[in-house]
Amino acid sequence: MIQKTIIFLLLASSLFAQTYNFTELRYSDAINRSIQVEGKISFNIDGLNISYPQSAREIDYKNDTLIYYENDKEVSLPEMQASKMMQYFDILRLLHKGDESELEGMFEIENKSNIKILKPLGAIKNYINLIELRKYDNELKYIKLFLQNNDTISININD
Amino acid sequence: MTKYANLIILFILLFVGILLKDSINISTNLLSLFATKESVEKLNIANNLGYSKEMLIAIKGFDSKAKKEVREISKKLRELKHINFVQSSIVPTEEIQDYYKNNYSILAKFNDANITQEQVSQKLQALYDAQLSNIFYSSIDKNDPLALFELENIKHSSISHKGEFITLGEYGFLIRVMTDIAPSQMDEAKELYEDVHDMLKEYPQVVAFAPFFYTVENSSKIKADVQWIIILSTVILLLIYYLLIKNIRLLSQTVIALVSSMLFASLISTVFIENFNILSLAFGMSLTAVSIDYLLHYHFHNFYETSKKIDKNVLYGYLTTLSAFAIFSFIPIPLISQISSFAVLSLSFAYVLFTFVFPYLRLKKYEEPNKVQSVRQEKKVPAIVVFVLSLALFIYSASNFKLDSNIRNLDYQNLHLLEAEKLFKSNSGVKLTPVIVEATTQDKLIENLHELKSLLPDTFSLASFVKDKQSCKKRQEELKAYDFARLNRLINEEASKIGFKEGYFEDAYAFVSPLALCDVKELDIFKTYGLSLYHDKDIYYTIALVSDVKKIENFSFISSINVKEMFNKAAQKMYDDLLYFGSIVLVFIFVLLLLSVKTQFIYAINYILFPLSFTMAILVSMDAINIMHLFSLIILIAIGIDYGIYMSNSKKPTNTMLAVKYSLLSTIAAFGVLIFSTIVALNSIGIVIALGCGAIFILIKVMR
Repeated sequence: MIQKTIIFLLLASSLFAQTYNFTELRYSDAINRSIQVEGKISFNIDGLNISYPQSAREIDYKNDTLIYYENDKEVSLPEMQASKMMQYFDILRLLHKGDESELEGMFEIENKSNIKILKPLGAIKNYINLIELRKYDNELKYIKLFLQNNDTISININD
Repeated sequence: MTKYANLIILFILLFVGILLKDSINISTNLLSLFATKESVEKLNIANNLGYSKEMLIAIKGFDSKAKKEVREISKKLRELKHINFVQSSIVPTEEIQDYYKNNYSILAKFNDANITQEQVSQKLQALYDAQLSNIFYSSIDKNDPLALFELENIKHSSISHKGEFITLGEYGFLIRVMTDIAPSQMDEAKELYEDVHDMLKEYPQVVAFAPFFYTVENSSKIKADVQWIIILSTVILLLIYYLLIKNIRLLSQTVIALVSSMLFASLISTVFIENFNILSLAFGMSLTAVSIDYLLHYHFHNFYETSKKIDKNVLYGYLTTLSAFAIFSFIPIPLISQISSFAVLSLSFAYVLFTFVFPYLRLKKYEEPNKVQSVRQEKKVPAIVVFVLSLALFIYSASNFKLDSNIRNLDYQNLHLLEAEKLFKSNSGVKLTPVIVEATTQDKLIENLHELKSLLPDTFSLASFVKDKQSCKKRQEELKAYDFARLNRLINEEASKIGFKEGYFEDAYAFVSPLALCDVKELDIFKTYGLSLYHDKDIYYTIALVSDVKKIENFSFISSINVKEMFNKAAQKMYDDLLYFGSIVLVFIFVLLLLSVKTQFIYAINYILFPLSFTMAILVSMDAINIMHLFSLIILIAIGIDYGIYMSNSKKPTNTMLAVKYSLLSTIAAFGVLIFSTIVALNSIGIVIALGCGAIFILIKVMR
């Protein structure tokens, strides 16, 4: 019985996990250049996982714990950087989930046909100017973050 | 006319009461009855600093559902009245972030080493390369590209967290709410209590706790409890008087006399004694019922039918009781001294009424039954045996004596709230204790906090956010001496060569001027961390959370606000005072008894010693002794004195016995019914009086 339950739970967690291939385009205002990376992102119940197969980097964020791997070896990140990344991932999870009631607590939301503009309300507005979300066929396909330092991060869901 | 003397006296007192109504002062601050004046002052300061006004809300688990509930509940809480702020995240408030921005150059660590052109070039090149090669996004700080300043992460040692959310250990998420309600503000406390509980109905798994919840929940329970006790007590008293004595006029005149005595004592106490407490008033009124034994003794001995002005036995009984309470009125425990003062006044007034006014009321004579049961002397135990037994019981009690110094145990035991409080305490991993720190100026206060922090580095206080004036001035000098203009020029030249966007670093290090000031005015913004500032009578106070109070005990600017410890100390002092004054009273009673009963001394003293030792022996066998047990033992002494004198000097033992029995029933009706109370303080009194009265019944039956 216990075995069956475990198998069911494993199956359920893999079913609930949603994996997407994405292309990330970063614009750095400091050097006035854009950099493109490709990766894979999985959203699951307790967190998310991002991997960049080309550079053998992977990050696992689960239950408010962040683990970073380089070539399958765990590498520790500076506390400040880890904390900022966790905040960023929390926002990504929230955007993926798209729960309006949760988003409303943190952003002022403006809807324009298939585009949603989120303006941060709390402390994150010190880092993020606004977020643009685009949905096609009711699925989130594009996220663009406009940062306070004029950098931008665009994520295109390829699947 | 003399027939109505008793009633006229009552009306005169009522009239005087109406005249004096503006001068009547009754304190409702129960804390002042138990804690010392200094402790009460400290707790008042702590209240002004927000301590005990905090409400905690726990949401079980760390999953996304729990996070959603944290956001929803926080939002709803912010809309309620009496809520100052809600904190569920460690992310600093906007005000604190602004404070950091404006004071960054002072607060951050500063590396003032001289930097060469080559070093500038190397550092900027590394930043440029990282932008192209880093797999994760990293930003460039255009204000401080060389990272000369480094802001240390402030360790919120008073807060545990997962990500940005505050947690309650491993239990789940926590919301900290600062209210403007002190536990003594009944109406406001009730309003917020109801609002919070209405709002939380949607979240059955969520647990909330605040000290003022006790005020709301316990007061309604206590009210209901006291109402039921009063009804029970009245019914029993009426039954005794009507069914047993069958004399309605005697009953009505006695009730009038008791009300007059209570009124007389209440007026004097509330007009002339400073901060006379409502609890002392309630106890004092009950204690007045002890005076019924004067009346019963007079009635059953038909004293009012004789021409005698005074009955010696009643006089001795009254004087001994009076002396005992007069001594206790000097005890430095406000509750006992106030009740004792009240007792002196009310018992004296009752004695005067029963002795000098009642003879004129033309009350019905007591008809002795024709057949008087003879007292069977042969089956009774000699007084010396009871005396020895009492001493043995005292020795047993002394060897098993255990004190309960937790005064909170006296309150109504609200198990559901106690459990909620325990949930927060046991799951909180924080082991810091709050202390009050004081100084004559704000600068000195910050200096004291830094001194504290240097001794106990994990201290959480305003010193975690604000520099002391001396370090601030030093930093200002360092900044003034550093050539930031040269550095800015070098950075912009090298950045251009490397390929950075033109002018990207044009404001590098501009934030150092103008220099931030060393006078911090916006300390109120740290209230969200529970760090308030309070200014009263030229003294500045704040709270610091420390890991080891003992290490800093000798600092003159620190006082502990550990309520439990405070009450434990107060309770210990109370016990010591009670023991000291109790001993004086006992010696005094011994002497007075020796003078009044002479050869019957052992017999008479047994009416004090046996009930005391019997009750104490049973109490120590059951549980620890609390302050209310001890106080009730004093009432027992007062009761025992009278009976000892009456029984040992009685010329008509059967009549005396009857008077004593009825008097005991009255006492049980007044105090013994408290045994049914769910409030430990009242229940303790009930147990002692019921056991004591039982012991006196045994004595009447078995001692010769």
